[in-house]
Amino acid sequence: MEERGKGQHRSMFFAVAGIILLLLAAVAYYVQGQERVLRIGVFAGNNWGVPQGNSYAVLDEAVEEFQKEHPGIRVEYVSGIKKEDYAEWLAEQVMGGREPDVFFILSDDFNLYASMGALMELSSFMEEDRDFRTENYYKAALDYGKYEDQPYALPCAGVPTLMFVNKSLLAREGIPMPGDDWTWKDFLGICRRVTRDTDGDGVLDQFGCYDYTWQQAAITNGVTLFREDGRASYFADARMEEAVRFMMDLRSIQKGREITSKDFDMGRVAFRPFSFAEYRTYKPYPWRIKKYMDFEWDCIKLPAGPSGRNTSELDTLLVGMSARTRMPKLSWDFMKKLCYDAGLQERILQDSQGLPVRRDVVLSAKARDIFRWETEGADMDIDALSEAMDEAVMPPKFKGYRAAMLYADTELTKIINGTIPFNNSLNKLQKEINAMLQY
Amino acid sequence: MEVHKLLWGYNGIIVLLLSGFMCVTQTKINQSMGARSFLEQVPALPMPAMESFLLTVFALALMVALGWIYRQSDAIKPHWQILVFFAEIGSCVLLMRSINLAYDGVVLLVVADIMCRYGGRHQEYLLVAAMLGLYFISNYNLAVFQMKVIPFDAYISYYEPTAQAALLAARNVFVSVNIALFVIYMVLLVKGKHEEKERIRLLNEKLGEANERLRAYAIEAERMAETRERNRLAREIHDTLGHALTGIVAGLDACILMVETAPDFTRAQLEKIRDTARRGMTDVRRSVKKLRPADLDKLPFREALTRMTEEFAASSGMDIHFTVVGWPESLREDQEEVIYRVVQEGITNANRHGRAKTVNLTIGSSEGKLRIIIADDGTGCENVKQGFGLRHMKERLELLHGSLNFWNDAGFIVEAEIPMNQEEDL
Repeated sequence: MEERGKGQHRSMFFAVAGIILLLLAAVAYYVQGQERVLRIGVFAGNNWGVPQGNSYAVLDEAVEEFQKEHPGIRVEYVSGIKKEDYAEWLAEQVMGGREPDVFFILSDDFNLYASMGALMELSSFMEEDRDFRTENYYKAALDYGKYEDQPYALPCAGVPTLMFVNKSLLAREGIPMPGDDWTWKDFLGICRRVTRDTDGDGVLDQFGCYDYTWQQAAITNGVTLFREDGRASYFADARMEEAVRFMMDLRSIQKGREITSKDFDMGRVAFRPFSFAEYRTYKPYPWRIKKYMDFEWDCIKLPAGPSGRNTSELDTLLVGMSARTRMPKLSWDFMKKLCYDAGLQERILQDSQGLPVRRDVVLSAKARDIFRWETEGADMDIDALSEAMDEAVMPPKFKGYRAAMLYADTELTKIINGTIPFNNSLNKLQKEINAMLQY
Repeated sequence: MEVHKLLWGYNGIIVLLLSGFMCVTQTKINQSMGARSFLEQVPALPMPAMESFLLTVFALALMVALGWIYRQSDAIKPHWQILVFFAEIGSCVLLMRSINLAYDGVVLLVVADIMCRYGGRHQEYLLVAAMLGLYFISNYNLAVFQMKVIPFDAYISYYEPTAQAALLAARNVFVSVNIALFVIYMVLLVKGKHEEKERIRLLNEKLGEANERLRAYAIEAERMAETRERNRLAREIHDTLGHALTGIVAGLDACILMVETAPDFTRAQLEKIRDTARRGMTDVRRSVKKLRPADLDKLPFREALTRMTEEFAASSGMDIHFTVVGWPESLREDQEEVIYRVVQEGITNANRHGRAKTVNLTIGSSEGKLRIIIADDGTGCENVKQGFGLRHMKERLELLHGSLNFWNDAGFIVEAEIPMNQEEDL
């Protein structure tokens, strides 16, 4: 009996020692992963689908300044990942638990990562950081980084949509340049006036607009297409009906002739919606000559519908922090450097095609200088631009958004083209989309 | 128990297999450009493959160690045991989390441990409570973590349909085999417990028989003691009283012859005879004294009485309530002895014949009488055979002009009365 009791005690001792060893191993495993390298995830090129020279200029600047301010910290990023490969690259990193501490987030990825808890929730950082004021941001840009009303990412740069105007064409037709507060009525009127057969061969060869979408019409008429949670849609809204009727009117002017990008490049189209990035890309010296050499052009805000304003969607580039980062404070500092630092935000204006998301930076004297220098006289009104950013609306980004929009686009194109009779078709569409959104 | 080890080993292997499968699949997905679409399907952030496998190994090792300690815990204090048990449940939850709740058979291990360890009276209730508790824990886990767990189907869906079917089937077989093993284990456990109970029952029977024999032997021993006591008394009487009386008779015979002729000599002789008688009386007193209980000499009477009842209560397991309502001012030695013997005999009878659990002993004095009432809650007696005990009590009492009554009520009641204030009688 005594012997057995002794043996039992020894085994017990080994079991307890084993548990302690296991715990120590777990702690050691956790600790050994800590080193002082901050990793950044970034893709080459830019978010706006326009050509760009040195795509890492702004980031390199931020890295350099950051390393200077934080001696002993090295900032690393993998260069050369294309935007189309970035989603997969990031997903692989996330699955391997190796995602960068701070990374750029594509619009399609934001909700995915925010919902699964891969992104750090930022409100506590924002509250604790006394230098940081959310009011400095354009609201649409800031809201774009929110999921279920909590901030998970900071906006880095934004791009509103503007209306490209062929000034030469309007001048030829004796039409004055429309102002930034123009309406659908003005837009439709000008389109009607310029759409004609100029060389008398019986075929229309000059047009009002190219690439103007029903989405743009809806937004400028104040339509909100989806409920915030992405579970219901409002396609049957009276304002949506106005927008569709407007699109049908616009289309009827062309008398069935499809307008191509070639028509536009040849200078035979008066209007085309243009993202700010495209404006920045094609407006400065080398590109302007190359792409649109035959005519003068400029950009103004989109025309407003009867129930809406001269607004557009704001395409925003987001930067988020990994929820598993071991250096949250440093990560936040880096995010702040990239997305909040006034100097860096200016660099965005100077070295990239996007617009800074800080209102004070956009409106600063320095920004005006950069603009004047780049556009050589034919300038864009910077106050109007800031206004456009202020008024811009945030595009939805819930999980099924892309699929729902794809379906809606197919159906609405049919409605606008007259393939499906208009009466009640929006109600039907809304029901169909709502059914889709339930899954 | 072998099945218990088998159950643990089997579950350990399954958990490691599942974790390894997930780990490999995750790596494969990552290598085949499927990471983004995989993430689309899952509601939570997957752990890195190697880390999740290590976590599984860690949680499994922890659970095995804690389970082992829990099962060995004879030496451990009960509250430590509970702590270890809860730690085991915790490690079980951790283990289930680490394999994304793809397999919940490990819950049965915890149930098996409870059952193995606990064999008390409320076993059934405990089992039901434990089962319900663990069922709720696993379901709560599901409910709470459902949005936070990578579904097993997401891993499965990476493979082609035929492989998917095979994998799902394999998992179902794993679960079914585990349940089968668990049921076998429970059956064996219950059988083992039943056999144990049967064994205890047999032992109890043997013990009862032994007790019965012991009681018979005790009665026999008492009878022998009685005989021995009688013999001793006879010897004493013969040695002391007999001796003295013989001497007195012989002396008196001489005196009868001599009284006329030599009155002086006779007178001297009579004095001698008186001395002999006195010595004889002293001897008788000494003998009687030897018969008195030892406690009566050493302790004051009331304490001796209390002590005797307490000792008897302690040794027999009966509850004896000793109440005194009025105690006589003084008692003679012989009275004390009789009272002592009556009480002793009364409670012995209550235990032996009445199989009583409680005895109420009341002693009170009133109207020049001391009354002793011994009431028990035992079986009583239909028609009381006046045995040696009762007769003996009666005889002793009658010597003091007392009386004895007994009757059945809630149990058996004996009442003894002794008249008081007759000190000058002696």
